[in-house]
Amino acid sequence: MEEINETVKAYILKEFLPGENPDELTDSTPLITGGILDSIATLKLVAFIEERYGITLQAHEADVENLNTISYITKLIQSKLSSLGVGSGD
Amino acid sequence: MGGFDESSLEKNTTLLVGSRGAEASERVSLPGQQGKIRITEFLIVVAQLALLAFVIRQFQIESSAFLRIALLSFVGFMLHSFLPLRFRQPFFLLLCFASIGMVFGLPNGAWLVGIGLLLIAICHLPVPFSARVTLLLLTGTLLAVFRVDWLHAPWSRAIWPILGSMFMFRLIVYLYDLRHEKEPVSVWRTLAYFFLLPNVCFPLFPVVDYKTFRRTYYNDDPYRIYQVGVDWMLRGVIHLILYRFVYQYLTMAPFEVKAPGDLVRYLIANFLLYLRVSGQFHIIVGMLHLFGFHLPESHHRYYLASSFTDFWRRINIYWKDFMLKVFYFPIYFKLRTWGTFQALVTSTLIVFFITWFLHSLQFFWVRGSFLFAWQDVCFWAVLGLLVVINAVYEARHGRERTLRKSSWTPRGFAALCLKTAGTFSVICILWSLWTSESISAWISLWSSLGEKTAGTARLFPTLLVAAVVLGEGASRIRGSGISKIGQPRPEFSKSTAISIASLLILSLAGIQEAYTRFGSTAATLINSLRSGKLSRLDNATLERGYYENLLQVDRFNTQLWEVYTNKPLNWLDVQGTGLERFTNDFQQKELIPSFRSLTKYGTVSTNRWGMRDRDYERQPSPGTFRIALLGASSVMGWGVQDKETFEWILEDRLNHENQGKPYAKYEILNFAVPGYQPPQQLKALEKALSFGPDVVFYVATGREAQRSTDYLIEVTRKGIYIPYDYLREIVQKVGIEAKTAEPVGLRRLEPFRDEILVWLYRRIVQGCRERGTVPVWIFLPMTIEDPWQDDTATLFQIAREAGFVVLNLIDVYKNQDIKSLRVAGWDTHPNAKAHELIAGKLYEALWEREQDIIRPRPSTFSQQSGSQAAGRTGSQTTGGIVKDGRN
Repeated sequence: MEEINETVKAYILKEFLPGENPDELTDSTPLITGGILDSIATLKLVAFIEERYGITLQAHEADVENLNTISYITKLIQSKLSSLGVGSGD
Repeated sequence: MGGFDESSLEKNTTLLVGSRGAEASERVSLPGQQGKIRITEFLIVVAQLALLAFVIRQFQIESSAFLRIALLSFVGFMLHSFLPLRFRQPFFLLLCFASIGMVFGLPNGAWLVGIGLLLIAICHLPVPFSARVTLLLLTGTLLAVFRVDWLHAPWSRAIWPILGSMFMFRLIVYLYDLRHEKEPVSVWRTLAYFFLLPNVCFPLFPVVDYKTFRRTYYNDDPYRIYQVGVDWMLRGVIHLILYRFVYQYLTMAPFEVKAPGDLVRYLIANFLLYLRVSGQFHIIVGMLHLFGFHLPESHHRYYLASSFTDFWRRINIYWKDFMLKVFYFPIYFKLRTWGTFQALVTSTLIVFFITWFLHSLQFFWVRGSFLFAWQDVCFWAVLGLLVVINAVYEARHGRERTLRKSSWTPRGFAALCLKTAGTFSVICILWSLWTSESISAWISLWSSLGEKTAGTARLFPTLLVAAVVLGEGASRIRGSGISKIGQPRPEFSKSTAISIASLLILSLAGIQEAYTRFGSTAATLINSLRSGKLSRLDNATLERGYYENLLQVDRFNTQLWEVYTNKPLNWLDVQGTGLERFTNDFQQKELIPSFRSLTKYGTVSTNRWGMRDRDYERQPSPGTFRIALLGASSVMGWGVQDKETFEWILEDRLNHENQGKPYAKYEILNFAVPGYQPPQQLKALEKALSFGPDVVFYVATGREAQRSTDYLIEVTRKGIYIPYDYLREIVQKVGIEAKTAEPVGLRRLEPFRDEILVWLYRRIVQGCRERGTVPVWIFLPMTIEDPWQDDTATLFQIAREAGFVVLNLIDVYKNQDIKSLRVAGWDTHPNAKAHELIAGKLYEALWEREQDIIRPRPSTFSQQSGSQAAGRTGSQTTGGIVKDGRN
């Protein structure tokens, strides 16, 4: 769980918020409603998650309820991995 | 997934709106849940709502129906705040139904709700999803058949735009979420989602996302939600007042664009008209906040977008989200095996195509016909391409995002201002294409670029730059760029203080006793902003709309369009009665003789001579005082029955009260024809003089010079021969041909407008005098708020100098509610009451000028004098007035 969280956070900081203070990006920072993840960034993030964790996300899952915070994203990945019978590694 | 889960009712009334709502719910402390109310905060919100209601009333924001709905929602809010949470959504639904009943009445309201319930029920049938979609499409098709009147619907047509706006897009969102939703469905929530309270007043309504609607219900401190609602409603009201200023004072007709500065003003004003939509959406979303729906912002400083993708993200955010969710992501996910670039480009272009199509479909439900115009196609295609290019650039190079307040550097600020000004300029140009009457009319705008810029015209580009710099500066200071959307709002107290101060200022500005103290200029300005009257341009278009099927009224975002949307499809227009026939010459049309038609307002009939009047002999009998009346539809009596026209009433009164004083009989022959413009009156005069009148009444309703040039452009573009040398030569001199775009032609003829009218009037006067007929020019104001005051003084002067006896009826509607004197909101012809007023006023004016008009003619009592008889006989041949000559 923690590993997923850190990986996602590192990706977001590197791709979308270069130069930002990592401490300012918390697990509950709004990403979509806060304007950090627009449609293109959302698609990039989805592609990253799918490639990194070997899971497939559906179009309807690319929404605020699943991707608005690092915490939500982590939960989504976790549940996908669980359904595949893969542990999260933490 | 299909059926309602009754067990969800209770769950729906809890604060947790799905697992993702947990974070927000931690902060929430609902007074209703605890059986307490935070009385101070409650009273502060109520006080602001009271001020807001006052401002809405004083500024006549939107319609009178909206004021009723606003009051209903504000009172509803107070009651709602005292209810336990589990009763709040049912109570909100009750208010929604009450609003529908208030606006449409019980029978039509019941039909609207009934059709809605049927559509919702289909979504939940226990059959496969595809079967439900098919059933909905079939039901939609059946409703479309009713919409185009192929089948008679037992409900009023007025419900269509609202039914369309409630269900067309929300059904798509709802079905999409229903298919993927894991949460149980709540009856109250679903019904509330579709019958949203303010929707009944707004045919253009934001596409509220169902999941967001569900997720954001009381997901924050309730009083913070309410305060956001008040703030946004206030912001909406300010947008709408600003819109009125732009609409009344800044908009221009294409032909008025003569210099680069004019063009800039035209482009900016056109785009600024969108303030109406953003204002309405702010009010709508703000009002929903009062009931706990903590929905996101619908627009975010869209005039300050710094790129095309940024613009797409800021303007109508709900639409963008709807497109992303239902079309863009599903299409992209299906196409991504093609590669990121191809999938991104294709899905974006498809989204813009769907946007264009859905706008046309929306128009179908509002007006009952599809909107297809090349301007629309071009607008969405070009905007789509710009967004694609921008999106690809951002995908490759990224865009600036920040978690903090942006750092300010002069260079960065200058770059941002440049980007903003560039984006704004391009969108203004695109917007002007979208709203233009035709592509050729739009192209003609650009010919003004070759002209010199006048000093005052340079003001607009300067203002644009200043606005961008100030706007960006303010945005930076507040630290709320697009990247800050969704961040916590200002604290309750700060937000409240700003809102209360703004509301107090607006309230004062709405009181006549207060704003008249600011001086006459400011008072006139504020007064003009206090009503939603049509602008001078739209009044002209509305007037022309009776005779032409103008495309521009089909467009969104103008008040004129709204006026037309209220017009029933089968409204009996002039063409619809079959009253006219074409003459295939300069006159173009005339009334059919001995015609009778039963209209909504009673009988419209013509005599054997093609006059909308009683029957008369060709020549007046001895002792008869005969008046020939020339005019257009208002004079003909469009919208009233035969015996209600002012001409009929006046003739009756003259005969009842003045028989033998001095004439044995009075006759008024009505030669008016709907749509006749001043040049056509030359032809009508020929006919009128052949009936031997003693007097000719020429009735003008304003804009005579403009109408004359409009008509010359019209006949030239139609290739109709102009039988008057002077007019033909002037058209040739300015280089107008059949292929000349209308705005170009109007621009070229404008320097000659008054000169043309002078010639027309002199010709009418001369034609009358040659036959011993007295020419009388009557000014009859239209039944609109500001009847063409801009050129009225010049008109009077031209008429007097031409030799007319002038009668001024400008005060005929004084102290009357002008709206009560029209046939309908979309039809400003005088109604029966107005005709009575006109007849009374004209009767008085006639006797005031008795010596000039009804002077006794000794020959009339015995037999006609030689000169008069000769004149009348001569006029039968329509000699001199028919043949053109410089005279």
